[in-house]
Amino acid sequence: MSDAVETKDVIAAAGERLEASGLPSDWLTVPVHWGVKAKEQADPAAGGLRFSLLNVDVYGEVPERWDNNTEIPRGAIPDTRTEQMGYSIFDKSEVWSDLCADLYEDAIQQRWNSSTEIPWDELKPLDGDVERAICQIATLLSEYGWAKAQTTGRWLQEISYGFIEVKLFLGAVVFDSARLYEVWRKRALANGGGLGRGGRNWKLLPIVQSYTFSEFAVASLMHDSMLLALLREGEGLSQNAAEREIFSRCAQDIERHLRYWVDHIRYLMLKEPLRREEIHRYLNKAEWYLAQDQDDTLYSALAVVMAEGREQAEEAMVDVAALRKAQVELYLNHLDQCHLSDRRNRLSDPLRRWAAIPIPTPEEKIPV
Amino acid sequence: MVTEAKLSELQLEPEAPDLDLSWLNLDTEWGVQAEPGRKGLTLQQINDSVYGEIPAMAADHTARPRGAAAPAQSPRMGYVIGEATETFSDSAALLYDEAVSRQWSSATDIPWDTLDELPEDIERAMAQLCTSLTEVEFIAGDVPGKWLPRIAADHYESGLFLMSQVMDEARHTDVFRKRALANGGGLLLQGGGGGLRQILEAEDFTQMSSMLHILGEGFVQSLFRLGELIAHNEAEKRIFRLAAQDESRHVAFGVTHLKYTLENDPDKAEEVHWTLDMFENTLVDPDQANPGLAGALVYLLGDGDVDEGWRLFWHVRRKQVLEYLHRLDVAGLGGRHETGRLHPALAGAIEDN
Repeated sequence: MSDAVETKDVIAAAGERLEASGLPSDWLTVPVHWGVKAKEQADPAAGGLRFSLLNVDVYGEVPERWDNNTEIPRGAIPDTRTEQMGYSIFDKSEVWSDLCADLYEDAIQQRWNSSTEIPWDELKPLDGDVERAICQIATLLSEYGWAKAQTTGRWLQEISYGFIEVKLFLGAVVFDSARLYEVWRKRALANGGGLGRGGRNWKLLPIVQSYTFSEFAVASLMHDSMLLALLREGEGLSQNAAEREIFSRCAQDIERHLRYWVDHIRYLMLKEPLRREEIHRYLNKAEWYLAQDQDDTLYSALAVVMAEGREQAEEAMVDVAALRKAQVELYLNHLDQCHLSDRRNRLSDPLRRWAAIPIPTPEEKIPV
Repeated sequence: MVTEAKLSELQLEPEAPDLDLSWLNLDTEWGVQAEPGRKGLTLQQINDSVYGEIPAMAADHTARPRGAAAPAQSPRMGYVIGEATETFSDSAALLYDEAVSRQWSSATDIPWDTLDELPEDIERAMAQLCTSLTEVEFIAGDVPGKWLPRIAADHYESGLFLMSQVMDEARHTDVFRKRALANGGGLLLQGGGGGLRQILEAEDFTQMSSMLHILGEGFVQSLFRLGELIAHNEAEKRIFRLAAQDESRHVAFGVTHLKYTLENDPDKAEEVHWTLDMFENTLVDPDQANPGLAGALVYLLGDGDVDEGWRLFWHVRRKQVLEYLHRLDVAGLGGRHETGRLHPALAGAIEDN
């Protein structure tokens, strides 16, 4: 008897036994795509069984349009009795990046624990103004982590299983953001200080109010770019090894998030070039809110740290201005990578002033 | 040649922000020096100060961290649930700390090389079980995500816990998909229903948590803890063991949240009972049944012997129901069985077995 016949007999017999005991057996005979053995690709030296290795055969086919509004796993056989689940994102272009599966695994490999992996015993008493300034910065970064986690989390229920890689990665973003929140709260409460003042945070409204995921993505790209430029200054701002470690670890996380924002928006621009003007409107809004927020608390606290006290803080504002310029430049560089280099000509006037970019005359401005 | 316009461009300096030092004179609590403990600098440690005081009512609808001074003006970031009784758990901080320290990687912490070839009927059953589980865990990640924007920053411990749950559920969605596709099987029949939508539909946090954390994940945890009965190799045993560990945290959050709620708002007990009436009914309703899950589970438990599988299934179900009732007892919602409120099909599982 051939193997195929023998297998068929085994499955048929199994089905009969299940049916005889009152259990459905249709799952035994659905037309499954058999023979996928992802384990054979798993190389411990290359990160083990990474999610991207599953994307073979039908299981790796990510459709441009996912038309199932249930939670059916991509590649499974539908059960037509299942209720609709309320997902709203079915277009791949709205969320996709080819990097997601790997970024998700990277997030797990690079996970860290703020309780045990920050050398908290390296914190030493600081000058009163400097401690207050560090605590003020910590308060605002913590606050941003909270808002970032909340606003990212709410998109999960909108994205269907067709784009599972995106959801897994966004889950990691939520968790990273939780850590951003708690590590800075810990810093504020670990060295004889306390929390400072919350941010005015009108600037965060665009990520709260987003109607589309891509609107959320471009606003997040702007905020995360600003944050990353600041975190990269951590070496100069840190007073001790604990803070250096916090800045460095957070920067690694935010860099990962930005790789996704950039790659997703680039994908969107390639797939849906007609949405360019729409995206510029979201950027107009994000930049406007950022500038109108007019909360200089963060920058003033940075000046006190740079000047090692309040006395020379005014002079240090030159260095703070250079940092803010670097923030805008990083934002524009990221947009360049998204095929949105035309933003350089459309950047809002306040951000131009921050980055020392000449403000075009009314005749030079692109009509919007 | 350098034009005048180019020259003025080169001379541009970035605009400096205004120096505002008003934050140097705040009346927030000062002099806090949280010390690392045996497990490092955990949330428990930093909550051992005035910053650990949980307001019964969070009036602030912004992202401002608890204990920070309010700025002159700050926009609400959407409506949040102010009452601690609605979302809080005394264990949330501890459970978050534990979640952070017990993260694992489905890529590297599962010994995938121990997956040997299985008989095709067994491989199909495991693939079906994993198809159903990746689907269930997918919804289990959507739910906390949905609730995150409604958690008050003043009750951040619950928020952080939910954020860790989102990560845990991502990993569960991922690991069961990996198992289905790792050993020659595949994804089989969708296993929708079974109350997944009811959990998503809930518009009250405690109702949601009773369904998701206590009943739904409670049953899943009891099953995973018996994973030895289902697993055929070390990889599968490890998957169930690690996933059960995660589920234990989720269940603990649900139990301690319900306990906190009922201690502070006993009138909510009937609402939770009603929610459980509805959800128990959904779980055992044949029309709502996940078509592949039960069959695959029975088949795996009996290793192909369906009668033996049924015997072990009722053993599992009995354990699920007993542990469920125990959790409700701990939460302060005891007596569900004694008063005849437990669904008859679940009551039968502990009376007849």
